[in-house]
Amino acid sequence: MNATASSKASVAASRRRSDLPKHFVLILLLGISLLPFYMMMQISLKDNQAFFANNWLPGLPETWQWQNYLYAIRLILPYVVNSVVVSVTATAGCLATAILGAYFFARYKMPFSSLLWPAFLLLMLMPSVANIVPLFSIVKSLNLLNSLWALILLGAAGGLVFSIYVLRNFIEEIPQDIFEAAEIDGASHFRQIINVVIPMSGSIIGTLAILTFLNTWNDFLMPLIVLRDSEIFTIGVGLIYLNGEYVKEWGQIMAAFFVASLPLIIIFLFMMKLFIRGLSAGAVKG
Amino acid sequence: MSNSISKRKALHEWKLYLFIVPALLLLLTFSYLPAISAIYHSFFRWTGGDSKEFIGLKNFQAALSDSIFWDSFILIAILVASNVVKLVPSIVMAVLIHRLKSDRWQYWYRVGVVLPMIVPGLVTLFIWKFFFDPTHGALNQFLDISGLKTLLVHFDQALHLGGIFSEGVPISWLGEPALIIPSLIIWGFPWIGAVGVLIYLAGLQSIGAEIYEAAELDGANSWQRFRFVEFPLIMTQVRLSLVMLIIATLQGYGLQFLLLGPDGGPGGRGMVPGLWMFNRAFLAGEFGYACALGIFLFAFILGLTVLNNRYVRVEK
Repeated sequence: MNATASSKASVAASRRRSDLPKHFVLILLLGISLLPFYMMMQISLKDNQAFFANNWLPGLPETWQWQNYLYAIRLILPYVVNSVVVSVTATAGCLATAILGAYFFARYKMPFSSLLWPAFLLLMLMPSVANIVPLFSIVKSLNLLNSLWALILLGAAGGLVFSIYVLRNFIEEIPQDIFEAAEIDGASHFRQIINVVIPMSGSIIGTLAILTFLNTWNDFLMPLIVLRDSEIFTIGVGLIYLNGEYVKEWGQIMAAFFVASLPLIIIFLFMMKLFIRGLSAGAVKG
Repeated sequence: MSNSISKRKALHEWKLYLFIVPALLLLLTFSYLPAISAIYHSFFRWTGGDSKEFIGLKNFQAALSDSIFWDSFILIAILVASNVVKLVPSIVMAVLIHRLKSDRWQYWYRVGVVLPMIVPGLVTLFIWKFFFDPTHGALNQFLDISGLKTLLVHFDQALHLGGIFSEGVPISWLGEPALIIPSLIIWGFPWIGAVGVLIYLAGLQSIGAEIYEAAELDGANSWQRFRFVEFPLIMTQVRLSLVMLIIATLQGYGLQFLLLGPDGGPGGRGMVPGLWMFNRAFLAGEFGYACALGIFLFAFILGLTVLNNRYVRVEK
């Protein structure tokens, strides 16, 4: 009796011990993955002198150069604001359009919808790489060169087909009775979207929003060829010009990188759970 | 499933068509039109302005004998091969997290995997560019401190690499032609992809406890459990991420643009097809030619996608 109890305890102890190597490997891998973040943070508080003396370890708190952030904010904040405006508007536009479109496909088999659907899916197969040259000329002929509207429209169009594809599957899984009940209550299609579709596909809309936002936020090639004036630069273009400067004050550059990351950091802190759940759920479905 | 609908009902519901109009407008302007415009303009000598001259198939002929363009596919092949290897850390990570006994730790590691994503991809690239800096970069300093630099120098002398690595001279990762491709592979080490890890974890969770118990009864060791239980079950997810990686590698040129500039770095060693297209259009002003290059690239990727779809469907 006593012997079995103690052997059980030792089994449990050995199990816990056998996890130690796993923890070691995991923490090592995660540690290196976070190295860029660590370097950015600690260098952002140094001046060049401290950086040249020692660039691996953080300096003492009393040597921290907060004015790097003052410089970075003055320089980068306008770009961040532009990027936020572009990404938020593009995401909202993309999802509003996608919800309407997905509802059209999911609610009834309307005449022509069976023709349109494959035409939409074709776009998902089509590589977008060949588009950048003609897109430039289309943007030009729409008189949208050097305007944030070009980026907003392109960002919204970019994630549209994928969002419609995902949302259609979700809307089709909503029981028909709910729609019919809403219809009997006199709800228009628009009302049904507001009161039925959006509440019932909230988490997938959130995930799609994050994906669209990230794509627009990280794009720098389109802004690079569309934008001319530095007042309307988005962060990507702004950082490219900053990085290209000859004399580099590394602390200021790193502070600028951090300020440029802030919006995403804030989003992740608030939506971490949604993000993890959404990604895992999407993976299981796919 | 969506309901079938009678003609009369459809007429009555005509307003539903308004719902698809915004999507249709956006896609027509920014997806279909560019594709058609690319095909159209590939037959012209066009510098991006209003004037253009029809030259038939000359752009395509020039593209066929464009050695920079076709050589850039070799780099793509190398990058794709390295991407296969780069999947390993994510798989290892997912399996290790999955095998932890404590659910709470599993949760925290999951959060940890997502955490590096708080730095935007763009900024991560810039920080890696800084890591590659010859004098101040973290990579060279690490090699110096750890003594790996000496090893590389010996390696250089043994294989007669001609002083790519030599004592006392900082390694110029993005400045030395022979090191461009290694740099393009090294960046992002240890290559943990948050989405990949989460996808694999989701696949692993479908493994029932009884399978593990059966494996344990059979005396399967850790590797055998991976080889015969875990890996087959995440095979679908691994193949999925592989396909996505191949297509992204073929299409992408942002990485090369940021690290090396529009000329593909010294010696053009970092030139990929997309970057060459970008370069021809926006640096050389040969928009028509760039469109023709784009169509080759387009056909290539489309062929791969179709092949993949057929392959995957057969597997199912």
